[in-house]
Amino acid sequence: MTLDAAVSSALAAAPPDAQASDSGGRPVRSLRRQAIHDTLSNKRARAGLVWISIVAFAGVFAPFLANSYPFLIKIDGRISSPLLRHLSRLDIVLLIALAAAIIIFSRRHVRVSVKWAAFATIIAAAALGSRLFHAPGTNVYDTYRQLQRDGKIQWAVYAPVRFSPNDRMRDQPALRLTPPSRHHLMGTEANGADVLSRIIHASRIALAIGLIATSIAVVIGVVIGGLMGYFSGRVDIIGMRLIEVFEAIPSLFLLITFVAFYGRNLYLIMAIIGLVSWTGDARFIRAEFLRLRKQDFVQAAIAGGLPLRSILFRHMLPNGISPVLVSASFGVASAILSESVLSFLGLGLVDEPSWGQMLNQALNVGGAFTWWIAVFPGLAIFLTVFGYNLIGESMRDALDPRLHGIA
Amino acid sequence: MDPLLELKNLDVAFDTDRGQIRPVRDVSLSVFPGQTVAIVGESGCGKSVTALSILRLIPEPPGRVLGGEVRLEGRDLLRLRESEMRRVRGKDIAMIFQEPMTSLNPVYTIGDQIVEAVTLHQKVGTRRAYEIAEQSLREVGISDPARRLHEYPHQMSGGMRQRVMIAMALSCQPRLLIADEPTTALDVTIQAQILELLRKLQRETGMSILLITHDLGVVAENADVVAVMYASRIVEFATVEDLFDHPQHPYTEGLFRSVPKLQGHKERLDTIPGTVPNPAKFPSGCKFHPRCPRTRQIAATAQPDEVVQIAAGNERFTVMQVCTDDEPVLREVKPGHWAACHFAPNYPEAPVTVPRLEHRREVVPVVLGDAQRALEPQGATR
Repeated sequence: MTLDAAVSSALAAAPPDAQASDSGGRPVRSLRRQAIHDTLSNKRARAGLVWISIVAFAGVFAPFLANSYPFLIKIDGRISSPLLRHLSRLDIVLLIALAAAIIIFSRRHVRVSVKWAAFATIIAAAALGSRLFHAPGTNVYDTYRQLQRDGKIQWAVYAPVRFSPNDRMRDQPALRLTPPSRHHLMGTEANGADVLSRIIHASRIALAIGLIATSIAVVIGVVIGGLMGYFSGRVDIIGMRLIEVFEAIPSLFLLITFVAFYGRNLYLIMAIIGLVSWTGDARFIRAEFLRLRKQDFVQAAIAGGLPLRSILFRHMLPNGISPVLVSASFGVASAILSESVLSFLGLGLVDEPSWGQMLNQALNVGGAFTWWIAVFPGLAIFLTVFGYNLIGESMRDALDPRLHGIA
Repeated sequence: MDPLLELKNLDVAFDTDRGQIRPVRDVSLSVFPGQTVAIVGESGCGKSVTALSILRLIPEPPGRVLGGEVRLEGRDLLRLRESEMRRVRGKDIAMIFQEPMTSLNPVYTIGDQIVEAVTLHQKVGTRRAYEIAEQSLREVGISDPARRLHEYPHQMSGGMRQRVMIAMALSCQPRLLIADEPTTALDVTIQAQILELLRKLQRETGMSILLITHDLGVVAENADVVAVMYASRIVEFATVEDLFDHPQHPYTEGLFRSVPKLQGHKERLDTIPGTVPNPAKFPSGCKFHPRCPRTRQIAATAQPDEVVQIAAGNERFTVMQVCTDDEPVLREVKPGHWAACHFAPNYPEAPVTVPRLEHRREVVPVVLGDAQRALEPQGATR
């Protein structure tokens, strides 16, 4: 597609009433809502959002989508739910978090700060409460397949994909490295585990690494960039040198070094990606704050005696965060890629599936190219990164005229 | 009665790449409770910097207060810690700015912004703060304040935003309001309304107003006492009636001549020749002398070797040199009238005193929208 065609299609995607709401009789949206509306009025952004939502859904409900344990089962006249019994702490916390988020953030007329406080409290409580909960220590995945074969199960309800990601099918050694079939829609890998199940469960890591690493980067970038822009002068000069130092660090080599010394730790990987990628955000925020601090409403806020915290984060930040939001959505994509690269190099996690690690497995089988292990996780990585990029691009288009509108 | 605010010999400097500039030099003035003091002068004369340094809003660096005192009820604001200063800002001294279009944060409703100011300085709950916000919007004449609280700044006109700014400034009942050209960005009818509103609120609350303006019409209608600033210094300080009737400084005279009058017919409006000097390179001596008609007139008529006695020292200058070589200071040339001109009447014998005038104008009913009439010297006193 040529540039012109891209521009005209982007224009065509925007609804004609996007700007008309100001003069019309309808209530005027806040700038934030207008920006969200503009972003989502772009078809490509919506497509990206749909895919990210699918991945997020798969991440939260992974145990219900792909599990070797039946959801409901009747044996000897007794009904039980092995799937629920084998839920991990993380599964439970994620489910509670999702429910809490839906309930809290769908309420109107509640202050945003109150909402976040409630949300954080619930998650902390869930994380603490789940410690009381113990899943059975060992997983014997073929128990129920064996019972089925023995005819002891009267009826059972299974998850859509009837295999856990770490179910290596020890009862059926012949199922290793089989191409896609009716039972295994995306085939099986070298150990006999189901590829689709592993892809579903791996979406958690992909989302977590992207969001947490980017959040770390944005928080550091906003604080440092904000102080640089607000105080300028000497603070700015020192901060700029700090940025240059961090920009000179080759992040992939740093990651490899840390993994080599401190072992494979997902949180360490997230933290390192976050710690080396805040510089772009800091530059954006610095530039915005340099512009904003001369603005009358900031001067008025200072003259009103507001504390520095409020001036920086309540009055300046919402007016200068747009470029960071855009860069963050690209940052999420690149963090996912970083983790995939690391896993592909064999430095990621071993016991839990991740998309990059699966790509690595596609290589490791000694000669034969097992296309299904490469294509499906590769497609998942591609679509997720692409989805984030589409959203980021649309957000950039939506926020750009707004920047000029305010100033 | 003691003055509410007193500036004594305030000196402010900015360090720039091209050397130090001094936008405020030796500025002294006082504001009494319930009084409106106007600082008037051309752009770049230092009136805004004076206002900003009262609240310590000068960016440091490059700005720096070299000396002087800013006393609010006897307490020197320049010696307060930053945390104490924050409690003064907004609570004791509030400020409204020239540009109402950009003085409100575009991402919050005006209610949120007023409530933040209220809860910061008063110990009230959110609900009570919203009531106070609604009440203060009503006081500044905004209709349907309960609904307006939930609107964003971009939904309002300039005049309404300035009313909101005033409501926000007054929601904490400050004793002094600094209004930095509050009406410059507004059209004439809105200007009159805003000024009338300020007068009304002043009558009701008894606050003092320090009015920064370049508009003599605004001064004539609102000020009790006027300080005329030129090139970083106050050159004349007097009651509004006295200043309009008997200006002592040639710069003030020039300002009055440059105001269009309704009576009489003239082809061209008088102007003060030349421009305000660049603070980086002020002229020597009296900074007004290159533009001063009085200097030129005296230079034309005086004997070259005629000598003038300078009151402070025993230095002697010839008439030709006194304006170019010696900078006059503010002296009380007659009771209640200060001027800084070597050739103001009685200047050499006049004492150097701190300018203080506890004067309040008699309330004159002013016809709205006829600001020009008030410009006439007679109009101001009648």
